[in-house]
Parts: sequence; C-alpha cells; structure tokens
Amino acid sequence: MSNKRKRMDTLYRWMTYVASSIAVIVLSMIFIFVFKNGISLLNWDLIVNDYHAQFYNGGLPETVTFGTTVAPEDLDSNVYYSEKWGLALEDDLDREGNPMITVAFITADSPLHNINDKNNIDNEEFELNIGNVVTSIKFNDKPSALTVQGAENMIASLDASNDFREIVFSSLGGGIRGSLITTLYLIGITLALALPLGIFTAIYLNEFSKQNKITNLLRSMIEVLTGVPSIVFGLMGLAVFVPLTVRFTPADSANILSGSLTLAVILLPIIIRSTEESLKVVPDDFRNASLALGANNTQTTFKIVLPSALPGILTATLLAIGRIIGESAALIFAIGTAVKDDISIFGKSTSLAVHIWSLMTDEPANIELASTIALIILMIVLILNISVKLISKRFIRRFE
Amino acid sequence: MENIIFEIHNLDLYYGKFQALKNISLNIEKNKVTALIGPSGCGKSTFLRSLNRMNDLIDTCNIEGDVLYNSENVYNQKYDVINLRSKVGMVFQKPNPFPMSIYDNIAYGPRCQGVKDKKTLDTIVEKSLKSAALFDEVRNRLKESAMGLSGGQQQRLCIARAIAMEPEVILMDEPTSALDPIATLKIEELMNELKKEYTIVIVTHSMQQAARISDVTAFFLMGELIEVDETNKIFTQPKIKETEDYITGRFG
Amino acid sequence: MNALRSLKRSIRNYLRFNSVKEVIDFLVKSIFLLATLISSSFIIVIVVFISREGFIPFLTNNDGLGSVNLFSFLTGTIWLQGTAFASNLYSVGFIIVNTLYIAFLSLLVSMPIGVLTALFIAKIAPKRLAGFLRTVIEMLAAIPSIVYGLFGSGIVLVFVYNFAKIFGYQSKGGNSVLATVIVLSLMILPTITALSEVAIRSVRTDIEHGSLALGATKMQTNFKVVLTSAKSGIFTAAILGIGRALGEATAVSLVAGNARSGPTLNFLETTTTLTSTMLQGLKETIGIDYDIRFSVGLVLMVVILLTNAMLNFAKKKVGNVDVK
Repeated sequence: MSNKRKRMDTLYRWMTYVASSIAVIVLSMIFIFVFKNGISLLNWDLIVNDYHAQFYNGGLPETVTFGTTVAPEDLDSNVYYSEKWGLALEDDLDREGNPMITVAFITADSPLHNINDKNNIDNEEFELNIGNVVTSIKFNDKPSALTVQGAENMIASLDASNDFREIVFSSLGGGIRGSLITTLYLIGITLALALPLGIFTAIYLNEFSKQNKITNLLRSMIEVLTGVPSIVFGLMGLAVFVPLTVRFTPADSANILSGSLTLAVILLPIIIRSTEESLKVVPDDFRNASLALGANNTQTTFKIVLPSALPGILTATLLAIGRIIGESAALIFAIGTAVKDDISIFGKSTSLAVHIWSLMTDEPANIELASTIALIILMIVLILNISVKLISKRFIRRFE
Repeated sequence: MENIIFEIHNLDLYYGKFQALKNISLNIEKNKVTALIGPSGCGKSTFLRSLNRMNDLIDTCNIEGDVLYNSENVYNQKYDVINLRSKVGMVFQKPNPFPMSIYDNIAYGPRCQGVKDKKTLDTIVEKSLKSAALFDEVRNRLKESAMGLSGGQQQRLCIARAIAMEPEVILMDEPTSALDPIATLKIEELMNELKKEYTIVIVTHSMQQAARISDVTAFFLMGELIEVDETNKIFTQPKIKETEDYITGRFG
Repeated sequence: MNALRSLKRSIRNYLRFNSVKEVIDFLVKSIFLLATLISSSFIIVIVVFISREGFIPFLTNNDGLGSVNLFSFLTGTIWLQGTAFASNLYSVGFIIVNTLYIAFLSLLVSMPIGVLTALFIAKIAPKRLAGFLRTVIEMLAAIPSIVYGLFGSGIVLVFVYNFAKIFGYQSKGGNSVLATVIVLSLMILPTITALSEVAIRSVRTDIEHGSLALGATKMQTNFKVVLTSAKSGIFTAAILGIGRALGEATAVSLVAGNARSGPTLNFLETTTTLTSTMLQGLKETIGIDYDIRFSVGLVLMVVILLTNAMLNFAKKKVGNVDVK
C-alpha cells in the first residue's frame, strides 16, 4: 500500500473521529451548562414555593417587649443578630442573582412576632417568618435601612432604635410549584384523552379494518401529523380548542384543558404508531387459535392481542410524557405564557417548558432559574428514555 | 516449481471452536483453471476465501498454517493484504455491482489505487469490458446505473471489474449459481477465454461445470481435501472411494 | 326507488345479528372506527381552521384598516410598517427567504457531521463505543427544544458575540444568522445521524466485500461504496432534518434576534424566521395582529410542503440514475 493511500486513509478515519466527538462534546456542554447554572437554585423550596412573592407591610403595636435571648455562638459570618429584637438577618442572593436580606432565624421571645398588618387589620396569620425577605425597615427618626446597604446595617439600625414605623417584607417568590402542577395536570389529562383514542385507532387499523385504499388513506392522514411542526399544532389549539373550551367550560381564555387537547393531537401519531408496531408483532397464530375456540373478534382483541401489546403501549406512554414535558411551541399558543400559583383546569397557567420560555423572553432574562427548570426537565426526560430502553430490551424479543 | 502460484501448507481454519478446514495442503498452478468441488458445507468456499484473506472479515475466524503466494506467506503479520487483494481478484456467488454507473464500477479499483488520468481509465474500462465480453452490450450506456443490467450481465460486469485490476489470479465463488442456463453458458465461455491470461480458482456446485472448464479438480469433504488431480482423471478414474461416491452421485 | 330499497335491504342484512357476541362485536368495531375517524380528521381540522383564520387578513377589511395585499405580503421586505393593530402593511417575503436560507445552511453544517458520525458508529467504532455513541445521539434527540434554546442563548450567543468582536463587528448580543444556524444544526444532528446510521447499516455486506476484494482499503470502501449505496436513505434523513429545521420555533426565537426587515444574508446580523415571527409579541387574541399569525402559519405549511416535494423529487432523480 502506497504512503499516499495510507495518508488518505488516516485522514478519512480522523474525519469520522472528529465528527463523532462533536455529538459527545455538544451533549456534555449542554449538561454542564444546565447543571452549572441550575444546580445552585435547585432545592425543595424552589419546587414547593409560589412564583409570585406576597408582599407585607408590618407595623409595631403600642407596647413592645424586647427579647433577651443571647446570640448563639456558631453564627455564620454573613448572619447578623440583634438581641433586642430577637432577629437574625442574612445577606443572600435572590433567583435573579441580586442581593437580598433574608430572615435567618427569629427567637421565641422576639417582639416581631406581634406585628400587625398595616394593609389588613384583621389578618391573624400575620407574622415574620424564617426565609422571608426583608426589603426595608422605615424609621421615624432616621433614614430607612435598605437591602442595598446589607444585613449588617439593617441590624445596627434596628439595635439603635426602640421602634420603627414600618417593616416591608415578602415571601420568597420565584418557585415553580404552579408550573409543576400545571405540567402534571397536562400529563394526566392529555394521556386520558390521547391513550384511548390512539389505542382504539391502532386496534381498528391493525385488527378490524380491511387492507384497502380507504384504510391506507386514513393511515396516511394520521402519519402526516408527524411532519406538522408543533407551532402549527399550537395555532390549531388557539383556533379550535381555546374557543371550544371557552364556550363549554367556565374558562375565559387559554387554559389547561385547551393545552391538553392540543397535546393529545400532537401525541396521537406517536401512540398509534407505537401501539400498531407492537400489535404487528403478535403472531397471527394467537388470533387464529382464539377465533378457533369460538371467541369473537372483540374477545380475541381484548384478551389475546392487547395484553401482548402492553409493553408497546407503555413505551408510547413514557415517550408521550417526555414529549408533554418538553413541548413548548404549541403550548405557548394553546395554554399561554402566564406563570400562575393558583392552578385550575379552566384557568390560565403554564407548563415548566413554557415557564423557561417566559423567563428567557423577560427583560432581563433569568438564565439561572431557567437552567434549574431545564435541569429538572432534563432529569425527567432522561429517566423516561432509560426506562423505555429497558422496557423494549426486555419485551421486544418475546415473539422471536 | 516455477509455475506454482499458490502453495498451501497444513492449513487449519477455525470459526470459533468449529474447525472448518483440516490440514489442507495444495499447490495451485499458474494459468490453469482449478475447480474446487464437494457437498455444501465442505469448506471449499472457506478455502477459496482464505487465498485472498477475505476470511479476515469474520471476527471469530482463526487460521494456522501457511498460504504462500509467489513464495510469500500471506498470513505473515507484515504482509500487505490490500496489495494481495489487488493481485488476486474475486467474483462472488451473487453478482454484487456497486450502485454506480457501469463505468464507475470498472474504474473503481484503479481509482482506489490512485489512477486519476481520464484517458488511462477510459482505456482500462474498455479493455476490461471487452475481455469480459460485455463491451458490445453496454457501450452506449456506460454512464447508466449498473443496477439496470440483467443478472448475467451484472456477473460479467463483476468479472470485468476484477479484470480491471490486472490481477494474476481470479477467484470465483460459485459465480453461476444465481444465473439461468444461458447466462451460465456465457460465463463459462468467458472463463475459457480468460484462462489464457489468468489463473482461475473456481468453487462450483456443479460437477458438469467443473468437468467442462477446469484443468485440475480438488474434492473437499467435511473440511478435508480428499483428492486432487487433473480433471479428466478425477472424473474418469478417481483413486479414493469418497470421490467416486460423490461424482457418481451417491451423496451430496 | 329501487336503489333505495336495495340499500335498505343491505343495511338490514348488515345489521342482522345472530348472537349477542355479534352485537358486541359490531358495537366495539363501531367505537374503534369512530376513534379512527376522529384521529384521522385532525389533519383536516388543522388545515381548515388555520386557513380560515389565515385568510381573514386578505379577505376582510380588518375593522377598517383595509385588507392585506396578498402579493406584497408574499414579497415584501418589512414585517410591519406602522404600529400593530393600526396598519395592514404586513409582509413575509424576506422571512421566507430567511427561513429557507437558515434551514439549508443548517443542513449544510449538520449533514457532513451527521453522516460521518453515522459511518463511524455503523462501520468503524468498536461495539462498545458504538453503543455509547448511539446513546449520546438518543439523548441529544430527547432534549426538548426549549433546552436547546436556553443553551443557545447562554452559550452560543456569547460565543457568536465574541467571535464577531474579533472582526470588529458589534453584533446585537450575538443574536444572528450564525447563532440560529449553530443551534438548528445541533438540533437536527441526532435526526440525521440516527437515520443515516440505519441507512448505512442496511447496505448489503456483499457489496462491501466486492470492494475489499478489489484491493480497496476499509476506508475507501466505507467512503466510496457504503456511502454511495446508502445515498437514498441518507437523503431521507436530510429531508426529515430540514423539515425539523423549518418548523422549529422556540429555540430559534431565542437566538434569531427578530429582525423586522430583511432578508438577512450576513452571518452576524439579526434575522427572523416564520416560526419566530409567529411567537413575537402575541398580546391580543383578536384583530389583525392576531389573525396575521395564522397567515404566517399557513405560509410555513406551504413552504414545508414545497420543500419536501422538491427534495423528494430530487431524491428520485438521484436514487434512480445512480450516477455520481
């Protein structure tokens, strides 16, 4: 073999090495990026918290009894404590990366347990709690202590005064509980709509229909749906399902139900194809044996064919869940982009994926929180894909 | 030993644990047609493929013994297998033209060797197609796909493709088994022409074919070489009983 | 009359049941048929309703603004002249050009990478490495497009911004044709790789052996014979890939930059595609600015259909003649 040929061979081989490594590099980069930006915010609070913060304005009662609890010895360096007010404040960063001051702890004898709501006198559950964000404390005799000046200044100002006019604080917002619940609703309702419809269609096409032109036409009409971009499904949801749900349900705009209906249409071809494929694997001998024993078509289908197709249906379900969780373009139209905390099937709200989109199109974009949600989505999708692989490995060769 | 092109000494070949060839020793002479016959699974195709090391492509294949080509051991670690295969051409059981034009099929081998000159390639293509008695049938559609040819034409194209490399030896693995009788006849005529210039080793399932075209015949059975002799001797007075049984059709 | 009677008779015959089992069979079959009819009707629903909404801007006078001129809509170079809801001067001509330009560039980037990766997985890599790479490709395919969009705006935009700076070019935060093409080619890479690999693996081994027996090296065989034989399958991969590139929305909208006029051929300038236009600034659900999105959706569907038809035609040409 000549040297030139050897060189060409090496060149060709290296071309394939380089190309293949690109896929690996891109995948690692995506994971590293999402992980690096998202992991710092990932905690249980984020998942159970509301997105929208509640703001409170508190005032002191007539008489104030000061606390006497001495500062604990193991205070962190960024935590500042006022013995008089029984309050420890901490410098922290919020989900946009801006500085904030949070309540690190509050002692049992703190006078701040007895503040009243300046906006609503009757509010009984009004209290400063651990984790609340203190925005400012306004004094009668001196300038207010603000977030930008830090926790140390705020505590020092408090210590120097015996009263204040107003404490402005809020719950820590930015949580994704609402979007998470919406996503779960979407998964449940969509599957409840799409699975029976898809499975019945697959059974009809594979078990009952005659193989003729009309069947082929129906099949290709379903097949065409796979090539339709999801944003077009979104337009359909907006033009068909949103008005439909507004008319027949209490909804007055895009809602979870209209989103689910749209997703169901997107998933139909996936479910139908996957079910049909697993039905095709069931040998005809089984059907003939059942029919020969006097079972009718229905009994044969439900007792013999369908159980054998279950792994395929399960695979389709898992893939469908992955698609629902990841879908964004269609849902932007079919359910809307409003991030909500109170979730109702007929109300506005949005899924995790669209939540990312909302965060990214905000000014300024919140990449950290978006990455955290992306991290959650990625983990779920990966688990689903691994499950699908395991299932198909176990069941695929049953009839071979 | 001037006119010996392949010398095979004590060749053993295993597929995993199964021994497909047992202690084969055989000389193949230049410019003669050697036919390998025997029942299915006797190892004749495996033996043929060990001559140009096509068995290398099977992972589980292990070889012991020597195959000397022009006195060099082709199973030597340093032996250039690419060079071997360009000197020892091969025609397969089923015609396997590449999905390219007729011209590109023939020019493929030379191009792989680095021949780029258009005129040289033109000459090679024409000469090879003429040698394979195909030129007149395809001269007007050299740029058309080879997949449009009939089975017999495709097989002659594959022979032309092998000839284009100007090999010394052409190995043929049941080249007519997928063809109809008329196409088979054409290929056999072609082989009679080719043996003037090339050494041919052919595996065949048909004893008549072996008798018609070969000079030397080797009979394989269960991975062993039972008997090898001049063709007319093998078919008229075989020395060994198994050979006689096979030739007279008692088994196989 | 006779025809009606015979129809009646055939219906009666059809509905005559000999046992309960047959009644159940009939009912179940009807339910399944109904499901099938519903499933297959959605494509019609999509076309009808999007067309109905999409034609409104051209056919009505849009609450006194006057109807949109179809010709200037399809050929113009400015998305909207005047303010939203107060003007009927919309056009998508330049957006169609942008969309096709970006999709084909993405295919141009993704094809060689995808096909070479597929070749490596199918023919060159040892078994375990091939399995690993297959998993990598599956994972890339499973990542939702919004995550690609996030990755695009977090990494690709920064890269493009700095890259543009080297040439002394102040790009708008990296939002550009280049960024869009990078993100899209990453997104279609798994589609192209997976389908090409299937095509390459289905090449008959005797064709490969034919090449090896002629003294071609393994690499020459892979590049000259295997790829040529898998051509038709690889072409299918390209068609699906470009379909995905044309229809991709959210990821593109985060990196394109939403130019209001064009077409943009400069790699470092902001651009816009049909999909990102649809996602831009949707505020009302009534009026021309709402309806026009359906018109854009309609244009998108036509563009995808035409591109597919064109590429399928090209595939037939390439597939049948088999001449390089």
